[in-house]
Amino acid sequence: MIGDEDFRRHCVAAALLSAAILALVLSGYAGRDRLAEIAILAIFAMSLDVLVGFTGLVSLGHALFYGLGAYAMAAFATMLKLPAGLAIPLAVLVAALAAFLVGILAIRVRGVFFIMITLAFGQMGWAYFQRSRTFGGIGGISGIGQPDLDAIGLSLANPADMALIAVVAAALVYLALARVTASPFGRMLVAIHQNESRARALGLPVQSYKLAAFTLAGAVAGLAGVLAAERTNFVSPDLLVWTVSGEVLIMVIVGGLGTLVGPALGATIWVLLRDNLSALTPYWMLAMGLFFVAVVLFADEGLYGLTARIPWPKRRRPSDA
Amino acid sequence: MDIADLATQSLNGLQFAMLLFLLAVGLSVVFGLMNFVNLAHGTLYMVGAFVGFSVATRTGSYWAALAAGPVAAALLGAAFYFLLLKRMQAAGPMKQVLVTFGLIFVGIDAVRWIWGEDSQSILAPTAFGESVQFLGLVYPSYRLFIIALGLAVALLLHLGLERTRLGAVVRAGVDDPVTAASLGINVDLAFFGVFCLGCALAGLGGVVAAPVLQVYPGMDVAILIPTLIVVVVGGPGRLSGAFWGALLIGMADTFGKVLIPDFSSFVIYAVMALVLLLRPSGLLAARHGS
Repeated sequence: MIGDEDFRRHCVAAALLSAAILALVLSGYAGRDRLAEIAILAIFAMSLDVLVGFTGLVSLGHALFYGLGAYAMAAFATMLKLPAGLAIPLAVLVAALAAFLVGILAIRVRGVFFIMITLAFGQMGWAYFQRSRTFGGIGGISGIGQPDLDAIGLSLANPADMALIAVVAAALVYLALARVTASPFGRMLVAIHQNESRARALGLPVQSYKLAAFTLAGAVAGLAGVLAAERTNFVSPDLLVWTVSGEVLIMVIVGGLGTLVGPALGATIWVLLRDNLSALTPYWMLAMGLFFVAVVLFADEGLYGLTARIPWPKRRRPSDA
Repeated sequence: MDIADLATQSLNGLQFAMLLFLLAVGLSVVFGLMNFVNLAHGTLYMVGAFVGFSVATRTGSYWAALAAGPVAAALLGAAFYFLLLKRMQAAGPMKQVLVTFGLIFVGIDAVRWIWGEDSQSILAPTAFGESVQFLGLVYPSYRLFIIALGLAVALLLHLGLERTRLGAVVRAGVDDPVTAASLGINVDLAFFGVFCLGCALAGLGGVVAAPVLQVYPGMDVAILIPTLIVVVVGGPGRLSGAFWGALLIGMADTFGKVLIPDFSSFVIYAVMALVLLLRPSGLLAARHGS
């Protein structure tokens, strides 16, 4: 039995997916590439939502795991020549492991200090990749190469196929994270978010749950990074810089915290606004900033919150029957 | 590195530290009073620098710029306070932080719009145009001026906070705003005054930095992160925290660039992470109501 709230979420998610499929069929080369970017950022934003929206841990260093996933994929593919079937899970594992290690340290501090320590770790990663000769310094690594998907009749070099894979991946991530957050584990995260002292008093191992959430979010962000590396065939330190962490935080908040589909919506709006506004005016950041401020001020639960105004059909409960 | 190099780099570190202090002190005290981080604090620094640049270009006077920059930043800060912050007090600190985050983008593009993309500079005043020799060192006198100005501001703020009635009101507000208000102190008015003073100091920092660093759209983001690090390392809400934090980060950054140039940008983040892990509320943590 799913509640009205979950029903609305899944409806919005289904609408978003339908729009994505429509865009996939109807749009041209650039449109499909943009769709792939949206789907990848949606995965990235949903992973951050697990932290910010559900657990209440506001991270300003989430790009670290996105970038690590991308760099690990690039390194495995170009330096170790691993096949994609091995490189992708290993790259996700690298991001998860890094998130686990960073998480052990980061969850020891709270509130604004948590924001700052995640920023610190993110920027340390950025500084490392900028200077590392092994990983190409500022220039990064290009020519990652795409996995051979001929067997299933797809090619990642083709934007249509890349977009298809990214959209399918985003849909799967949504379903998986919706399941995880609805599970007892997910309810515990929400309990910590609502009242940490109470959760602790009830005997919940709060720190372990926070660490698990941080690791999970890092792993999913790593997956988004892997896909980003595949889409552009290129990785650079720009993937890890703190403004990327800030932008994905904006997507989550504009879309709607703690709803999963909201952040995916936020990623969509972000990319569409960015591309359309930057074509109109060189001062598009000004408009983006004002839009963001307006959403924070007036749309309490983000853009997803606006869907509550749609007169959804009331679902009948078993007791009504 | 010989003694002369060490002395020169120490002065460089001190000069950067004083610049960071001018920015961090406003941010830190506002954090202590209102329990929120004003991410647009760097924007006020940038606006101060650009207004200073315009005034210096028109009048040819550095000192006019040094007066205009802080005034412009304080006025902008006051407008920001009344238009947004005051209305959002009930909404809680997180929303306030997010709004200031959005304002960073607005600020950069507004400055690009008004002043253009180019890097500008303000000439150092003629009195401090050259280098001075002392103790066998040759050092730009303008940088010594920055150090002296920073120390003077620190001393004035210290005296103001510890010796005046207004200072006592502010300290009471930081320690326990609810009790202070119930004792008949107009905490809101004190907050507003401190907020504007912090903005003015950020604007002052912008003009002071202009002859040494470039004036360009985006200079706000470049200084914001080190400033936030100073606030966190020093422990928010404390004047002394902002001062010692600025000193630590200014020195760490300067010597990091000399000693390990390849990983210099690593250093201040590593220092902050270390401080947070050892002292989770900063080196000189203030007491917080929450």
